[in-house]
Amino acid sequence: MKTNIFVKDRVAVVGAGLTLFRRRHLETPRELAWEAARQALESAGLTFDDIDCVVTGTAPDAFDGVHFNGEYIADSGGFGKPTVRVYVGGGTGVFVPVAAWWHAASGLCNTVLAVAEEKMSPAHPHPQGVFAYIWDPILERPLGPNLIWIFAMEMRRYMYKCNTTKETIALVSVKNKRNALDHPAAQAAANITVEDVLNSELLVWPVNRLDISPVSDGAAAVILARENEARRITDSPVWVEGIGFTLDNTHWYNRELAFPRYVNYAARMAYKMAGIERPWREIDVAEPYDPFDYKELHHIEGLMLARPCEAPKLLEEGWFDRSGELPTSPSGGLLGVGNPIAAAGLMKVAEIFWQLRYEAGPRQVKKPVHYGLAQAWGDLMQVGTVIVLSN
Amino acid sequence: MSKGLSGRRQPGWVNPPGHYLKRDEMYALPGLVRYKPRARYLFSAGQAQSRFLQGLKEGRILGTRCPRCGRVYVPPRMYCEYCHTRTMEWVELPGTGVVHTAVVSYIAAFRERLKEPVIVGVIKLDAPGYVEGGYEFAGLFHRLCGVTPEDVMSGRVIGMRVKPRWKPPEERRGDVNDIECFEPVEG
Amino acid sequence: MAWKRWRIEDVIHYPGSQEVEEYVYTPGLHGLEAAKAFKEGRILGMKCGDGVYVPPKTYCPDGREGELVEVKGPWRVVTYTIVYEDFYGNKLEEPQVLALIKPDDADHGGLIHIVKVDPERIHLGMEVKPHWKPPEKREGKITDIEYFEPA
Repeated sequence: MKTNIFVKDRVAVVGAGLTLFRRRHLETPRELAWEAARQALESAGLTFDDIDCVVTGTAPDAFDGVHFNGEYIADSGGFGKPTVRVYVGGGTGVFVPVAAWWHAASGLCNTVLAVAEEKMSPAHPHPQGVFAYIWDPILERPLGPNLIWIFAMEMRRYMYKCNTTKETIALVSVKNKRNALDHPAAQAAANITVEDVLNSELLVWPVNRLDISPVSDGAAAVILARENEARRITDSPVWVEGIGFTLDNTHWYNRELAFPRYVNYAARMAYKMAGIERPWREIDVAEPYDPFDYKELHHIEGLMLARPCEAPKLLEEGWFDRSGELPTSPSGGLLGVGNPIAAAGLMKVAEIFWQLRYEAGPRQVKKPVHYGLAQAWGDLMQVGTVIVLSN
Repeated sequence: MSKGLSGRRQPGWVNPPGHYLKRDEMYALPGLVRYKPRARYLFSAGQAQSRFLQGLKEGRILGTRCPRCGRVYVPPRMYCEYCHTRTMEWVELPGTGVVHTAVVSYIAAFRERLKEPVIVGVIKLDAPGYVEGGYEFAGLFHRLCGVTPEDVMSGRVIGMRVKPRWKPPEERRGDVNDIECFEPVEG
Repeated sequence: MAWKRWRIEDVIHYPGSQEVEEYVYTPGLHGLEAAKAFKEGRILGMKCGDGVYVPPKTYCPDGREGELVEVKGPWRVVTYTIVYEDFYGNKLEEPQVLALIKPDDADHGGLIHIVKVDPERIHLGMEVKPHWKPPEKREGKITDIEYFEPA
């Protein structure tokens, strides 16, 4: 990577908003996006008139069943303004504020509204019908795959390589669902035990139902502003210190599955920009992407918050609890709060924003926080998107 | 200054908007629109994959080799992803390999429970003359047979040497299913 | 082995289909109000800072919330097109007139609907009125209005 990390303008997050994450919403996709945007604006004391540019993000149009879905949700504030939709699969949620960042850092816009929305419920009988299109139509789909297969295969490889067990990995689900009890938008918050995870319906060994985040409808939004504007809007801006995003090839079965290279590259880019040399010491709170429980550990290692294969051991020691040394997914993550794909990633960025402002209420982590990180991952084990924030 | 939703005096953030519907409630809504999509597709396998599929019909696993870095691609690409050069040379692989990862699926594509679980995995293929970098390799995603769910769960399957079990020549259609599955190499 | 010269017959094609069996679209917050009104034979609009919009949406283009109001017409043809083929390219028995129709008491938008009129007679500004299905057959959808007809 030879990206120019010496961008002159500082950009801050100044507001965030969320809708409820639920299996099925009455609201249309654009209404969900508007609700989240309004929450974010209210939290920053702004109105739609104060916004210069809009960045939107949603996963495939085929979930909502509406083409040009990004443009469709953009009239939640993008009307008559420079607006763009970004899309990198599951990584979209964190890519939306990344794209909003360069809108502001380039000097093009003073204030940027970043909205991510996902309504998965219109696709019947199950959103799986949309996921079927992730597989290669010629070499993979004729084998009749279910989306869970690919995760199960990666999880199995990770378990083998790191010599860890389903019991240990289930602790992630237990932790995140418990954390989500304090989240007002949460869909799948619960006090469960490792046994509950192991006894839930076995789908594709080693994946049980409670190893997986639920499908959801929901939207999230954040407001980004250039330094002068940010200081005018709030006395506690949360600075964007670094961003990173990389892509790997689509041939997931042609590479080592136990380590996410794509996340690692994105993280290195973000850390370099943020001047972070020892992320495992310097990052105080993290929101790694956790659509499956092993994914959180996998991503913690990709983000260099733990050495390869070290995360399961640290997890057992409570290192990643809210009261731990490096709290991860204090919001409850996708496993607890829900997984409306693009909105879920942006929810993670919003959580870090609230954590760094000490506004997370009962979800606030015990230790003092200075640097936080949110990460998402997407496409066919391909995309890593990372954002590093500080207060 | 921020008040209400995320203000300092009200820490945490409360009362997110949104109206959840139960399944029946949704179907009872006035104004609910239901639409059945009818899209049909025809996917072209392109140059490299078409030749690969023809090879399967002949009972051969073909790959391409990059003239610059020497990487062997299975499934074949017509260009090297790392060097961006055309992969000029075709190579035939012996077909044997080792299991990289394997899982036991109890559900089919749309989450229907299967009567008999299927075992699927990633097979890292032997590619003579290709010195890999340790991260990427020539490989295929396919079914595994001749192994039990217990073999998968105990981890015995990973690293196991396997070879393709081909369908009889008259049943092959130039399709990834021309390989019935990968099975353990005896002995 | 080397690459051979490619002929089109050598390329293998693989069929596939849309695997979502059905999409179910919820009407949304104000869409639900509009749907209930359709069942009663009324048409709603949204009063925003810059005028009344038909059909209603949850928020106005300026991002603010508006107020639901009933629009009564009279309705006029803003623009129209004459359709000779159906969605799949089959010839229609009779050409159909599809028009954008705006009530005089709204400022923006309008409904897109069929106008039951001889294609020779349709013209911009023509006054039309909705022809409703019988109340027991209404579902809260735009199709509750069977068509518009000259007033």
